[in-house]
Amino acid sequence: MLDLFHIPEVIIGIGVLFIIIIDLYLQKHKYISYLLVQLLLIVAGYFTIIGGLYPSYDAYELSNFTRMVKLMLLALSLIIFHYTYKHLVFINKLKIEYFTISLLGLVGTIVMISSYSLLMLYLGIELLSLALYALIGFNKDSGLSSEAAIKYYVLGAMSSGILLFGISLIYGFTGSINYFEIAENLNTIDKNSVQFLGIIFGIVFITASLCFKFGAAPFHIWVPDIYQGSLISTTILLSTIPKLAVFIVFLKLYFIPFLEFKFIWSDILMFVGIASIIIGSIFALTQENIKRLLAYSAIANIGFIILAMGLVSVDGLHASLYYTIVYSITALASFGVVTHITSNSHGIEDISDLAGLSKTHPYHAILILITMLSAAGIPPLIGFHAKLMVIQALINNSYIMLSVIVVLMTVISAYYYLRVIKTIYFEDRENLISSYTNNNLVLTLNVSLLLVLGIFPFIMFDISSYLISLMTVISI
Amino acid sequence: MIEYPILSILIWLPIAVGLLLVVSNDISKSLSSNITILTTLVVFVISFELFQSYDHSYGNLQFTEKYKWISGLNIFYYLAVDGISVSLILLTAFINLLIAIFASSEEYDNKSSYLGYFLILEGLLMGTFSAFDSILFYIFFESLLIPLFLIIGIWGGSNRKYATIKFFLYTLFGSVLMLISIIYLADLANSFAIEDFYSLTLSFEEEILILLAFLIGFGIKIPMWPVHTWLPDAHVEAPTSGSVILASVLLKVGGYGMIRFMLPIVTDAGIYLSEYMIYLSLVAIIYISFVAYAQEDMKKLIAYSSVAHMGFVTMGIFLVFNLLGNNPIAAEIGLEGAMVQMISHGLISAALFFCIGIMYRYSHSRSIKDNYGVAQFMPIFSFMMIFFLMANSGLPGTSGFVGEFLVITSSLGSSFIFGLLAALSLILSASYSLKLGKNVLFGDNQHNNQGYAECQNNEKFVLGLLIIFILYLGISPDFLFNLLDKSVNQIVTSISIGRI
Repeated sequence: MLDLFHIPEVIIGIGVLFIIIIDLYLQKHKYISYLLVQLLLIVAGYFTIIGGLYPSYDAYELSNFTRMVKLMLLALSLIIFHYTYKHLVFINKLKIEYFTISLLGLVGTIVMISSYSLLMLYLGIELLSLALYALIGFNKDSGLSSEAAIKYYVLGAMSSGILLFGISLIYGFTGSINYFEIAENLNTIDKNSVQFLGIIFGIVFITASLCFKFGAAPFHIWVPDIYQGSLISTTILLSTIPKLAVFIVFLKLYFIPFLEFKFIWSDILMFVGIASIIIGSIFALTQENIKRLLAYSAIANIGFIILAMGLVSVDGLHASLYYTIVYSITALASFGVVTHITSNSHGIEDISDLAGLSKTHPYHAILILITMLSAAGIPPLIGFHAKLMVIQALINNSYIMLSVIVVLMTVISAYYYLRVIKTIYFEDRENLISSYTNNNLVLTLNVSLLLVLGIFPFIMFDISSYLISLMTVISI
Repeated sequence: MIEYPILSILIWLPIAVGLLLVVSNDISKSLSSNITILTTLVVFVISFELFQSYDHSYGNLQFTEKYKWISGLNIFYYLAVDGISVSLILLTAFINLLIAIFASSEEYDNKSSYLGYFLILEGLLMGTFSAFDSILFYIFFESLLIPLFLIIGIWGGSNRKYATIKFFLYTLFGSVLMLISIIYLADLANSFAIEDFYSLTLSFEEEILILLAFLIGFGIKIPMWPVHTWLPDAHVEAPTSGSVILASVLLKVGGYGMIRFMLPIVTDAGIYLSEYMIYLSLVAIIYISFVAYAQEDMKKLIAYSSVAHMGFVTMGIFLVFNLLGNNPIAAEIGLEGAMVQMISHGLISAALFFCIGIMYRYSHSRSIKDNYGVAQFMPIFSFMMIFFLMANSGLPGTSGFVGEFLVITSSLGSSFIFGLLAALSLILSASYSLKLGKNVLFGDNQHNNQGYAECQNNEKFVLGLLIIFILYLGISPDFLFNLLDKSVNQIVTSISIGRI
């Protein structure tokens, strides 16, 4: 029998409550609370590895697949919290609530990726969103932060409404919210019936809402504002953990219950993907704010992921999974470096704040260089292999024109990554840049992963193949 | 026969040392330049060993190293060389050795990184010339951009930001189209090995599109008219050694790619379009020569002269398409001419950029009129420079003559007009080279002495070595022909058997 106290989401959920209470008594020793947070993640990771699996798929999945994804989420959180803690101390905004709220969001993402019913999925998404509303508004001194929080709250609530509407349509016309039962019902549906139309509507509504959560065009308008308004540590969180979780939700939703209706969502996803790539690449060109720039870059990257998934083929699926993992590592690295530095005694806001970095802080400069080149898809860094896989999947499925558009967009997007490098390395002007460390082991490892995996890309390839083989029901 | 993985050593030794130099910021300038000289010397010795033990009597691939790299995608770590690769590897090793010696007396901020990027560049170039898996080739090909981008961007002239971004985006644009063609071919051939592409049968439309993609990709790199405009900007802004490596080796990557990819894979489309491509080459040879004549800036002049000389290379390559059906002997001559022209231009342009670098050190100006009358202050230097300018204009007895002569001979096999127009270049290149020589070396020195002094010993050594090799190649080019003969022959016969 499954022991409920041995699954990580329960452990984190309970642990968070304890940490909140403990923190009340440790106001002067916040470092201990922070260590407890990290310890909680490690304990959760330990129980994820040894914890049992649950063979039935009623509303919740506890399989090898979710175990691997959970481990990835926990590892990402571990690194993000490491960066976040140092950053918050650095800018004098440390509050342990920041971590506890993040942990609740993490529980939300774990529920999302483990859900096997639409209602459970909704619960997970709401839990994550509530945590994010609070985190985005965390920087109380800044008007932009409050604006961002309200924007995200209003739009997020609306998108949740749309999601619920889609779910109710699916439930109404199939009579179930369980993924597996929906799939069975959709197999037998008559193409000329009202149900058929209703289900299409349901799928479209759910897709729209999830694309909003993913930050894909044309539902992307919130992304730059929210990235800009948040603390940089929140931006890292926003650009990694929810993206990975929403991607897994996409994967499960489209390839289990909705697989029979791929003729409708495949086109939608391809359109959303290519639109995101184009919008993300072109709109980023004129951005001066580095967070907005990275926001548009995120939109373009999401586009690659969704486009590859829209191919509905094994290599497309593989490419999208590969791309997601690579994107997470790259985003982690690129934002991670930025958390380490301040310019003219405020956090890095504009790209021009980075001018002269190479002369005063060569260590940070070289890290940004590697992450930017990887993001631009220049070999031998891992970003190249990710883009290669997507383009190869496109060509294997005979979308030649689409692949030409995609590579032209990567050339355009290379320009704004190069602009960051140009500012760091080629500008003569100097800012008053300071950093609390010139040697962060985690950050160095994080960045060198981009290079090492780029030279030995088969490691990532094997990991993503393994993950795909773990997925329960895939029959494309 | 050599037992150790010689090609991998040629690639990874300079890259490893280069990365160490880039990372270690605080080692002294003299130590870093000594390490660089030592490394390039070792690489040169190894590549000479490669040349020695390369079996000239076969044109097939030798020193093969083949390991699975990304097994799921069927991508291999596949290195090998034929005569064409060996000659370019030898050129790369030689030029990098000269750069290391030349740069030892130059002053730069953060010199160890500067030299480190050159070593990385050397390793990547070796990889480009020896990769026989198309994705591996592409990875080396495109990685070349990174160190050069940084070299020009960090240590370049005042307008470097514009020049580097232009250079990077231009070449990236060309290469991504090439990437699509490679993946498309690999999808058909079910393998990424370049030689597996050779046996594919493609429809005519496919061939045309793939040819255009390759033409854009490699044409930008080499560069051909009308996509050459990044080159003068990049040259003008680059530091001396950056210009040298750019002109003498990096441009050759484009020509090498054309020989490796365009000739054997898309032959039918090439035959169909060969005349137009030859016209493009002739425009480069003639029109760009006039442009070069009009330049006020020495580096720009040599840069445009490079474009014109590369016109001979592309012409030699495209003549193969044109002559394949009726005159395969002339086709071989054209291809060999293109190869010799590449090697020779590698030596001559390197020498000229070194010379300009030496003058720039005193006058801090690249403009011709700021450097009038150098000869009275630097007689030995002036003698050497006038020799290089003569070689640049294709004087018989220098290597510059051999390549041009072969290409012109071969073009006569196709059409008299082609030969005539190409031969015009001998006059045009002499006119701009002599204009540069007359004004810079023997011009009337209206200004005061800019502080010119005879060049230093290491510079004399570098230029002297170049003179020896240019003369040697011009007087007895046999060793190069022995190296190239079988490989060129194999390429030409294989494509003519395969297609016609």
